[in-house]
Amino acid sequence: MRKGKMLLLDILNSLLPLLSAFGIGAIIIILIGENPLTTYNIMFGKTLFEWNGFLKTLHFASPLILTGLAIAITFKASIFNMGVEGQLLVGGFFACVIGFCFEGLNPVVHVIFGLLTGITCGMIFALIPAILKAYFKVNEIVVTLMLNYAAIEILRILTQTIYRDIGSGYVSTPTVAGSIMFNRIGGTRLTLFFPITIIVFVIMYIVFKKSRLGYEVTAVGKNPEFAEASGMNIKRKIIYIMLISGALSGLAGAGYMFSEKFKYTLDFSGNPGLGWDGMLIALLGRCSPIGIIIAAIFYSSLKTGGDSINIFTNVPKEIVSVIQGLTILFLSIRFINQNTKLFGNIMARFDSKKKKNEEV
Amino acid sequence: MDFQRIFYIMLSNSAPIILCVLGGNYAHIAGVLNISLEGMMLIGAFASVLFVSVTGSLLKGALIGIIITLVFGLIFAFMCITQKGNPIIIGLAINLLAFSITPFILKVMNTSNLNVNNIVDVAGLKINIPLIQDIPFIGQIVSGHPLVTYVSFIGIFIMWTIMHKTKFGIYVRVVGENEDAAYSVGINVNKIKYIAILIGAFCSALAGINLALEKMALFTNGMTAGIGFIALAAIFCGSGRPGLSSLYAILFGLAQSLAVNLNISAGPVSGLFKTLPYFVIVIILSVASIIQNKNNRMRGFKNE
Repeated sequence: MRKGKMLLLDILNSLLPLLSAFGIGAIIIILIGENPLTTYNIMFGKTLFEWNGFLKTLHFASPLILTGLAIAITFKASIFNMGVEGQLLVGGFFACVIGFCFEGLNPVVHVIFGLLTGITCGMIFALIPAILKAYFKVNEIVVTLMLNYAAIEILRILTQTIYRDIGSGYVSTPTVAGSIMFNRIGGTRLTLFFPITIIVFVIMYIVFKKSRLGYEVTAVGKNPEFAEASGMNIKRKIIYIMLISGALSGLAGAGYMFSEKFKYTLDFSGNPGLGWDGMLIALLGRCSPIGIIIAAIFYSSLKTGGDSINIFTNVPKEIVSVIQGLTILFLSIRFINQNTKLFGNIMARFDSKKKKNEEV
Repeated sequence: MDFQRIFYIMLSNSAPIILCVLGGNYAHIAGVLNISLEGMMLIGAFASVLFVSVTGSLLKGALIGIIITLVFGLIFAFMCITQKGNPIIIGLAINLLAFSITPFILKVMNTSNLNVNNIVDVAGLKINIPLIQDIPFIGQIVSGHPLVTYVSFIGIFIMWTIMHKTKFGIYVRVVGENEDAAYSVGINVNKIKYIAILIGAFCSALAGINLALEKMALFTNGMTAGIGFIALAAIFCGSGRPGLSSLYAILFGLAQSLAVNLNISAGPVSGLFKTLPYFVIVIILSVASIIQNKNNRMRGFKNE
């Protein structure tokens, strides 16, 4: 019973902020003289309730699931890896470099090589704040945020100078070789990236639910002093967590590169980037695995739908990021907790009814 | 190398960082991690420029900009203190909101940036201090800044005085040191925290006004470019002392100024210098943290 109640609380605590954010979003849309209902209808109608649109949504959900996971596991350990965005960019960029530097390789070898490069680069980039945090107690939030800015600048310079595709009209790298591109499966938008994401997701689920590492990470997050007193090596745990987080971000970047973008442009990850979307997804999913998947699919539909509202209405697609910000704002507080009166009354009535039924 | 120019830009660039540092310091000392300085500064910059173009008056625009930023500060304080939310997540949300609402409104207005050059005369806003401007070399560095830049440097002393010589400053420090003890002696902890956060919002608004209105009379998307986070790093490095933190802020201003100036003289890879301030922060923060923890013999790992 108690477990069910907690689950219900969690679901309500994710739904209410969402509804409030959409409510305020609707007010903003009315203020600029548009109809919020048609806007939302266009946003979700095509992306959730049409088969091909839904597959497209799943396709765009893949990097979001990975970045959501990357942030959720660090949240579990009470570490705030704000550098998922930077790790994703670095991973995606260098995967792209591997993609266009080698031509005529066996596709399987090339793909594995590219993905591994992305993962490694993400890990290396996450290792800097990890070491600083674990051994020198440097606040990881500031370091990761600063490294994001640095990464964006450095990648911009690399794209503008060394790796610039002279033939292209705008600043971008050359397109990756055909052997590394993920082909669409059966005429839909889905590519190999989605199954890879699901496999990684299952592995992460097993690691964090069933393995010793998962247990220790949760312990570190709950009470680091107790965890250390009971003999866990916290420094090493922090580095592991950040490495896993960086690997997931790097994989997200590489996969997104091979399945959707095919070349690095300056707006590779959009605004706000995929890493920040991952933050929303981790919060919306309350850091639980199933929650993350649902949140990622929902948010991906919001994002892909954002492109259609730009075409069919006069509402700028920035409304999606406004709603995203509002959602995160409302998600930060618990709308209802175990002590809330209203909810308690309903539960009590529910309980007593059940008891009566049992007595009867 | 034009040293005069480098130092002039250093002072000019440090002003918004110093303002953010001074404002953020109170929240930091009161034990609230406010990472939304960046967003509040952007809101302040945007609102002030927007309302200058709407009202046509510099003063009115600046005032409305400050008020709107204070509203965001209130939202932060309400969510964080009254509703006991996680300050990091709320701060991120406010940053995200600031960075999405501003382009949204610009899109609705059908422009890519806001220009109020016809209303605000940037050159006219620069104040030359008599006597001081005649001193050779230094005169041209110190003099000729807009008003808020001077306010920021004077603010260092004001904030130090408030923090160390007034009742309110002591209350803030007590709340940060031990909340329960503060409760037990009858200090209204929530009120103190609210005021601390609102001071932060006010100073961020001033920083935004300095950045957008006074120096350029222009607002472009995402123009704060991490200054709020740089200020946050300066606060961490200075561990809550206004003077020391401001010194770090000036150091970051120097890094930025060097980046701007080397940009002009270096070739195509000049963009690399833009990353200089960010790396300087990481390095300084690490060194400061190593020094702080060097003599720490405490057992256990505290996650702050």
